[in-house]
Amino acid sequence: MGYFRNIQETVATIFEGMSVTFSHFMRRPYTVQYPDRVPIRIQDTLPFRYRGILEVDLEICTGCLACERACPIDCIVIEAVKDQQTKAMVLNRFDIDIAKCMYCGLCSEPCPTGSIHHTSEFEGADYSLESMLRRFVKAPVVAYKPKKGPETDPDIAPILDRGMAYLNDFASAGGDE
Amino acid sequence: MSLGGYDVEVQRPGGLATEEMTLNMGPQHPSTHGVLRFIVKADGEVMREAIPDVGYLHRSIEKIAEKVGYHGFMPYTDRVDYVAAMPCNQGWAMVSEKLAGIEVPRRAEYCRVIACELNRIASHLLSVGSMGMDIGAYTPFTHALREREYINDLLEDLCGARLTFNYMRIGGVAWDLPPEWVPKAVAFLDRFEPLIDEYNALISYNKIYVERLANVAVITAEEAIDYNLVGPNLRGSGVKFDVRKDLPYSVYPEFEFDVPIGSGEVGTVGDCFDRYMVRINEMKESCRILRQALAGVPEGSVLAKVPRKFKPPAGDAYVRVESARGDMGWYCVSDGSEYPHRVKIRTGSFTATSIIDKVSRGLMLADLIAVVASFDLVAPEIDR
Amino acid sequence: MKQLVLQLTGEGGALAGVPYHLVAALAMLVFGAIVVFVFVLPVAGVTSWLERRVWARIQSRVGPNRVGPQGFLQWLADGIKNMLKEDIIPTAADRVLFSIAPYLVVIGFVATFAVIPFSSTLVIADLNIGVLYITAVTGLVVVGVLMAGWASNNKWSLLGGIRSAAQIVSYEIPAGLSIFPIVLLTGTLSMQGIIQAQGWAPWHWFLFHSPFTFAAFFIFFVAALAEGNRTPFDLPEAESELVAGFCTEYSGMRYLLFFLAEWGNLYVIGAVVTTLFLGGWQIPHVTDNPVLLAVLQFGVFFLKSYFWVFIAMWVRATLPRVRVDQLMSLCWKYMVPIALVNLVGTAIWMTVVPARVDRLVQIAMTLAGVAVLVRFFLRVRFQLRRAKLRAVDYYYSPII
Repeated sequence: MGYFRNIQETVATIFEGMSVTFSHFMRRPYTVQYPDRVPIRIQDTLPFRYRGILEVDLEICTGCLACERACPIDCIVIEAVKDQQTKAMVLNRFDIDIAKCMYCGLCSEPCPTGSIHHTSEFEGADYSLESMLRRFVKAPVVAYKPKKGPETDPDIAPILDRGMAYLNDFASAGGDE
Repeated sequence: MSLGGYDVEVQRPGGLATEEMTLNMGPQHPSTHGVLRFIVKADGEVMREAIPDVGYLHRSIEKIAEKVGYHGFMPYTDRVDYVAAMPCNQGWAMVSEKLAGIEVPRRAEYCRVIACELNRIASHLLSVGSMGMDIGAYTPFTHALREREYINDLLEDLCGARLTFNYMRIGGVAWDLPPEWVPKAVAFLDRFEPLIDEYNALISYNKIYVERLANVAVITAEEAIDYNLVGPNLRGSGVKFDVRKDLPYSVYPEFEFDVPIGSGEVGTVGDCFDRYMVRINEMKESCRILRQALAGVPEGSVLAKVPRKFKPPAGDAYVRVESARGDMGWYCVSDGSEYPHRVKIRTGSFTATSIIDKVSRGLMLADLIAVVASFDLVAPEIDR
Repeated sequence: MKQLVLQLTGEGGALAGVPYHLVAALAMLVFGAIVVFVFVLPVAGVTSWLERRVWARIQSRVGPNRVGPQGFLQWLADGIKNMLKEDIIPTAADRVLFSIAPYLVVIGFVATFAVIPFSSTLVIADLNIGVLYITAVTGLVVVGVLMAGWASNNKWSLLGGIRSAAQIVSYEIPAGLSIFPIVLLTGTLSMQGIIQAQGWAPWHWFLFHSPFTFAAFFIFFVAALAEGNRTPFDLPEAESELVAGFCTEYSGMRYLLFFLAEWGNLYVIGAVVTTLFLGGWQIPHVTDNPVLLAVLQFGVFFLKSYFWVFIAMWVRATLPRVRVDQLMSLCWKYMVPIALVNLVGTAIWMTVVPARVDRLVQIAMTLAGVAVLVRFFLRVRFQLRRAKLRAVDYYYSPII
């Protein structure tokens, strides 16, 4: 009897499986037709926390080197020197090797102003490794100095707001309340 | 239909001289799940032996830990098992917390459990999907991956990455649950749970599929324990052992869930089908845990106060977490400095490779694919 | 065509004086070549595109939709790409066998088109041994595949070639045995003769003639799938086991030829099934215009055979692959005995069952077939409901 049961089971289970597959002719495909047949750019649909290519807002970079220390693979190189006359930090170099970066987000966590942050940009393909080294400092620039009160400079205030919003998204340390 | 074991001794009429054929399956082969190599000695289609050759994906992750410090090692744990990175995150976080004696906030524990269980479902989906693909049915794979994409979307909302999450931190998690995330996750569960039944109707109980898996590579409970199998591979052999249940950690004791074990419903207990079915049932159990966890997330902080210069006192610690591939052990020796003195990771896939040679003797070449898929081997986890 | 050749060679014809047989042979060659280039290649190509689209929809994907309208010209793009690729022959391969193997496979399937009756008049050669001819020339495929597997000097290819040989040789038997009941019923081996013995209505088809022919139909279809190396019998090129089986080492044009044969063969399966069991080109009497009639008959035949191509695609998207030993036990333990029972059963049926009962059985069988279909669609509805889809998840249009 096992003989006929085998035949019966085979036919029955194939029948069932075929009904499942046929029902998919009536379901919407899940494919996102990236990149051209999408209603909005994929980059704009990504969540705020998305960890894309790193970006540095030099206007609010304090030159504290926290990100350089936090980076586990040393893909960030910063050269910050103290100007002897003005006592201000001057950034001579801020390089991020995107080819090395593993998008872990550990650098943006300790940043005091949210200057270094991940963007939602992920299309980073390029023709050479050299061009993946992103040099943010073109000419030496004076580092940002956090103010006591709210930021007054209208050029910097929105950047700082965005940076702080990025920072606030991270969990803040605290015990069980 | 004839099944399972074959007579290895092949009678040759007239003393015809024959040779065994040595086949190199891998490291580049469509169904070795990464770069894994098998040296197969085959007599036609019947295998005499299949010796796994590991090490093609060795990246010295344990050594890297000694160079990057406790905080910096967290993204590397994603790479230990990139199919289920959350439990690896959790293992490292837990072993560091145990070393330093840090109390983790309850909300963070809930976040961890939710993330881990979602990731477990994603990993099992990949496993059962690629099982179908290795047996020759391509459609279940895409259906499983479609659901996995939804989970990836959820985890992306949670931590900004789809594969290498780096979500957990020593002392908690890096991001709180985003607003409106919990209803989204519940909606996903509502959508996903009936699809498990559909998946079973499509492939799991398909006669051809059952015949391919039932009674193939039977591992008894004793053998499974002797060879140190863990996770679904161990439970497929009928041993009811789950770290979440038997050596509870995190907030798992607060949830009600069963530990599915292999029942031999179509063949013998411990065959490929049982290991496969355990994963299917575990997805349902994970859904149960998720529903309870999502309903009961407590208020509070998600990160304990941990100094940025993290220096645990000298000593050692060992923790076990239930990864998607089973009991994952994390051992860390601290010498009181900023960097771990020694880290050792004990993974389920590595021990599972050791039994492949034993169970695959006398099976057919096509069965080796089924056996490898049923163990859910993930090459980076074998080699680390 | 005979008339055309007679006209050409007769008094005042363009080729007067040339021997009739020479002209006839040439005309056959030209007509055959036209059929191959105008019909066979596009059919195989379009089948490849359609298969990918059908697969994609079943798998919640979109499939090729960029080249031409809805990706319809994808097969041309793929074909041109493959033709421009380098044709690599491994150093250790047997160059001669390696080079000619794909052509044997293609010949094996193209030659079958010689006897496929597209309408009552559109047929290259209505051989009186048409069915036998088809089983014979498809045997060339196994030679080509075995040759490819052996000549590649690659262990995976060899395994694929050997598997294919064992498989095709075994499955010729149930396939052949399932044709015999039809031959018994009609008393002819000619494809046209078999179609003429059926009618346009489903209850006139041999599919619903008796329970035995019904079973024979399924056995033939499954065996044909196995001979065409289609899932669930795609062991020779089992991607997850043997990398690409017998065509692992092939590239460029030769690789394309194997796949041309595979997809073209799919249509041949459909056409033979339609001829033997589904009434072929038979249509109700609507017109006496020979051209219109030929077009209508061709259309009906094409749709029927393409329906089975679609079924084969759908089966491929659903089922996993059997193992080698299961393949053999399925053939020898299940299909051959059942096919034999069918053969004997049909013979007894013909002598025992009177014509009136016969007609009743045919109508009952047709109704049973309809019932199976209805049950199937109810099951599909059940699957859709079980999945708890939202309204936005439904999408009926094939265009995307």
